[in-house]
Amino acid sequence: MKIACIEVWQKRLPLKEPYFLSGGRLRFDALDSTFVRIETDSGLAGWGEGCPWGHSYLPAFGGGLRAALDLLAPGLVGRDPRQVEVLGRAMDSTLPGHLYAKAPLDIALWDLLGQSAGLPIYALLGGAEGDSVPVNSSVPTGTPAQMVAALEAARAEGYRVHSAKVGGSDPALDIARIEALESARQADEQVTYDVNRAWTPALALEVMNAVSAGGWFEQPCETLDQCARVRRQTRQPIMLDECLQSFQDHLEAWKGGACEGVKVKPNRLGGLTRARRVRDLGVAVGWRMHVEDVGGTVVADTAALHLTLSTPAEHRLGSWLCQRHLVDDPAPGRGARNRDGLVALPDEPGLGVAPEPDWLGAPLARYEEAAP
Amino acid sequence: MRITRIALHLVPLTSHETYVMADGKACAEVESVILRLDSDEGLTGWGEVCPIPRYLPAYARGVIPAIAELAETLIGADPVGPEALMARCEAALQGHRYAKSALDIALWDLTAKAAGLPLYRLLGGRQQQSAPLYHSITCVAPARMAEIAVAAREQGIAQFQAKLGADGDWQADVARLRAVREAVGPGPLIYADWNCGASRIDAIRVARAAAETDVMLEQPCQSLEACAEVRRASGLPMKIDEAAHDTESLLKAHGLGCLDAVAVKLSKFGGLGAARRARDLCLALESAMIVEDTWGSDIATAALAHLAVATPQRALLAACDLSGYVTPRVAPDGPERSAGRLAPAERPGLGVTPDLDLLGAPDAVFA
Repeated sequence: MKIACIEVWQKRLPLKEPYFLSGGRLRFDALDSTFVRIETDSGLAGWGEGCPWGHSYLPAFGGGLRAALDLLAPGLVGRDPRQVEVLGRAMDSTLPGHLYAKAPLDIALWDLLGQSAGLPIYALLGGAEGDSVPVNSSVPTGTPAQMVAALEAARAEGYRVHSAKVGGSDPALDIARIEALESARQADEQVTYDVNRAWTPALALEVMNAVSAGGWFEQPCETLDQCARVRRQTRQPIMLDECLQSFQDHLEAWKGGACEGVKVKPNRLGGLTRARRVRDLGVAVGWRMHVEDVGGTVVADTAALHLTLSTPAEHRLGSWLCQRHLVDDPAPGRGARNRDGLVALPDEPGLGVAPEPDWLGAPLARYEEAAP
Repeated sequence: MRITRIALHLVPLTSHETYVMADGKACAEVESVILRLDSDEGLTGWGEVCPIPRYLPAYARGVIPAIAELAETLIGADPVGPEALMARCEAALQGHRYAKSALDIALWDLTAKAAGLPLYRLLGGRQQQSAPLYHSITCVAPARMAEIAVAAREQGIAQFQAKLGADGDWQADVARLRAVREAVGPGPLIYADWNCGASRIDAIRVARAAAETDVMLEQPCQSLEACAEVRRASGLPMKIDEAAHDTESLLKAHGLGCLDAVAVKLSKFGGLGAARRARDLCLALESAMIVEDTWGSDIATAALAHLAVATPQRALLAACDLSGYVTPRVAPDGPERSAGRLAPAERPGLGVTPDLDLLGAPDAVFA
């Protein structure tokens, strides 16, 4: 089997509500997503999506993703797509770094590998651990009363795992928010307090050592080193996200005792291949993990869910679906869908979802072998 | 002052001698990105970044999309005092330091021109008249590398970087180091540079076998931990390049005890502002510095020359005259190698006047 051509689409994905990054960082009201289709000479086609969360959240943006695809895609044409790691190393040699741009290609290769084997991707990543995984709600930052109301509304929809955004310059307000949510939280519910790097180490310690929370604190400070210092001086469990990119970063987090869990996001890590390595490390060292993507439609959600579903239940806290926040749905009724706070995957080969051609329109770029 | 226009030019640079490095990396013809900022007061600032393909997480064609993303932040903004505007750019687009490096250099050029001062004065003032240069020697047969070293020594060069590992033969690397040492005699500093391409075992074997050649090792392996192990096992000093690119990585290398010297390449850190912060940290850590950039022509060379002469002599090991390795020369009045040393111009700003005919029509314009 050989890759015959690779097509690329750009799609603007309007958000239902404008989003503000914590700490007063930029507001945005749409995501810039890139879809990749890898077509083979056997007639099979694999799909991947790469959708950074805006351009100021991680070192990733749509324009950079597509510029990197322009460099990477021609080198894959003509190769056998079923050798995911071999092609991954070839991409690393062509362009070091830029993991976010490699992710959609890697996911499309996994889609093809699954289709050619007649198996869903989760079966190739270790097999399904149960039938479904919990997805978390998103509780936006606000007054303590507003945040409790949002948590209760999410509970009514079936959510038992919640992600609440905190993190400002007023420690008393953050403490009040967390205490209010902890009072409202039921015994079988989990709340992760996501700070998105907004605290200095001193502020993190002030808040985390004042509250009685039984929840998780996610990415309290900017760097791994700062988070590790906070971890050593608090009894609260920490989950890390943005400061971890390479496998070596995760090793360092483990060696330094910086966290009890990590977010595993294929687009941040460079696709399912690299996300699986991090997941396996997490299982080996005893982390708990949220496995989800940074953003995107049901295509990106579904790719991440294959990895979530194949992660042992004691090591997964849950997942998250970006699709809930988007106006558009490129594949209605297909792929990973939320049913009362739980998500299951259809038993289809490969990724099991592809965007509707009408919704996509014409491709932005097409890479194929030059005519002889 | 307000920025009114940003123009980017992709300029192919051809190396006088193809650079062969470990892991199949090579540097023959490379695209450089020249960035021009125009202002409402008639002043123009110039920047440049020239990533080497397959070398670092950086590529020439990634620069224009990044600047496009930043155009909204830049057009109409005041360029004087680059760090404030660069902080806003960091908020608008995280990472992509190499693309921001060209922008940051152009902002410093404009700022210094607005002040009517040569740029080195804004970077701390002149600590020395000129900076010593090292000469980089491509990884080829030992005898040819020795010839290149001799030719460079005749131009006054007293530091030599021998590229290693291109053929994956550790004994050939030992022969290279011996040949270069024999050619230049005792005294001159030789950097044994693998560009991350060696295994720990090969690096240790080469370093031990060639220990009598008195070399400084340079970035044999990818990770700082592995480089630190090689340093421990060989007892030879270590220069870090690829793995040092920000405050955190410098502190980590220092903590691991492998930061005897470090390559302060402007585009690795994100431009002159970030490189100046790295310079000040390295002074405190007592790490020797090579102030340089990945590749490039006169604009990048001028920028690094200003930072180099504004760095205390005791801490500055060398600078690199990138423009001397490539053709064409983008600015005929750019700084040049003289008696093995490099000095920036005394004119305001970077002090370079790019050849507009050579640059031709821009590949992207934002206004």
